Amino acid sequence: MKKVLNILLTLLIALQFSNALAQSDELVNVCALGIGNATYLKDYKVKLSASSVSPPSAKFNVILNKGTMYKITVCNAEGYAGEAVVQLMENATILGTNIKADGSFVTAIGFQCQKTGMYSINVSFKDGKEGAAVAILSYINM
Amino acid sequence: MKRNWFKIVFVVFFAGAITLAGCSGDGSKKKSGDIEIPDEIFGDDKPLMISQEAMGDIIDNISSPVEMAALLKSTGVPFSQKLLASTDRLDDLNTNFKQALNLGVYGCDLGYLNMYEKTGSVINNMTAIKSLANELRIGQFFDFNTIKRLATNNENLDSLMYISVSSFNNMDEYLRQSNRSNISSLIVTGMWIEGMYLATQVVKEAPKKDVVERIADQKLVLNDLILILKNYKGDANFNELVKDVESIKKEYEGVKITYEMGEPEAKEVDGMLIIVQNDKQHIDVSDETLARIIDAIATVRNKIINL
Repeated sequence: MKKVLNILLTLLIALQFSNALAQSDELVNVCALGIGNATYLKDYKVKLSASSVSPPSAKFNVILNKGTMYKITVCNAEGYAGEAVVQLMENATILGTNIKADGSFVTAIGFQCQKTGMYSINVSFKDGKEGAAVAILSYINM
Repeated sequence: MKRNWFKIVFVVFFAGAITLAGCSGDGSKKKSGDIEIPDEIFGDDKPLMISQEAMGDIIDNISSPVEMAALLKSTGVPFSQKLLASTDRLDDLNTNFKQALNLGVYGCDLGYLNMYEKTGSVINNMTAIKSLANELRIGQFFDFNTIKRLATNNENLDSLMYISVSSFNNMDEYLRQSNRSNISSLIVTGMWIEGMYLATQVVKEAPKKDVVERIADQKLVLNDLILILKNYKGDANFNELVKDVESIKKEYEGVKITYEMGEPEAKEVDGMLIIVQNDKQHIDVSDETLARIIDAIATVRNKIINL
């Protein structure tokens, strides 16, 4: 009987995992609808646990091209307290972030790239709260 | 009572198994007669020079071919069907190596077709992509019916572009998660080479400055491509491909890229923070160097589509 229950428990976890994947894909679809006059390039899914000591972050490297206007749109998943803080970086330099000095958020970051090279998109959650979010990289049709 | 309990457990178990099988699609196992062969057999079984994570990072870095297609369109250069790879020789693509490289080529062509809204020509290209993706057991990520509907009805081109690009992103993500980065690296290489082929052929006819610069600054990507391919150079096909890409890199030696640093500026427009980079990038490429790059790209690309 214990064995059967273990199998059922495993199945339940697997189904929940599969649901979590489907939910993150759903968030990507919804977020992609809101990119406006831009063309989708990539999405970055982030889910981080809470931490008050050293807030965790996720880093994604990407090559951006000279002469292109990029847009990074952020969508937070429902059911989590964390609000995603996105930073666009070049090496150790922060070029821009979606959080303003007063703690409020802008809906997206635009980046007029003048230099082809490696950049990174860092995602963490404000105040180290647990959160799940999607960042969509797109380019603006000029 | 006990018997009924087991009946319930059996029904729940069976339903769960069916659901899971449905979720995994038909691409998680390769069927050979009645025997199912696990993915691992087809995966990367040799030790890697760099980790799977680092591989994924590098593959992610390489720009989408859609950006190149958008640049070509923005210059006003008209669409050219003759530049696209033929979809007539799918039967000859009988190994995973050939299939993955050419899947990348067709994927890039799909971006070019979509960008120019040549939706009527998309069906042949998509049929080829679907066929190769099925052979590579990643067909479940390519939503053929939706793309076909959007293309044939000529409706919502943004959605068509989104579904096409995200299908390839999902294939790539799955390949890396299932320890098949070798396939992923081939798809990315095929895409990059085809994107460069389209750009260089356009430049041959109309040397637009922006396109010439984009071709030249791809010098930065070449090292990454070679790095991921060298991971599998124990395989004769990969080794040959590394040599081919190195032959392109050799022609890039004449490209000089210099930078002038500046402070970025930021302003908020309609709820969006716009960052304007004030760095400047100067690219110096002679006509002779460009001509050699054009030839090198065409040689490698034509070799791939005639494998």
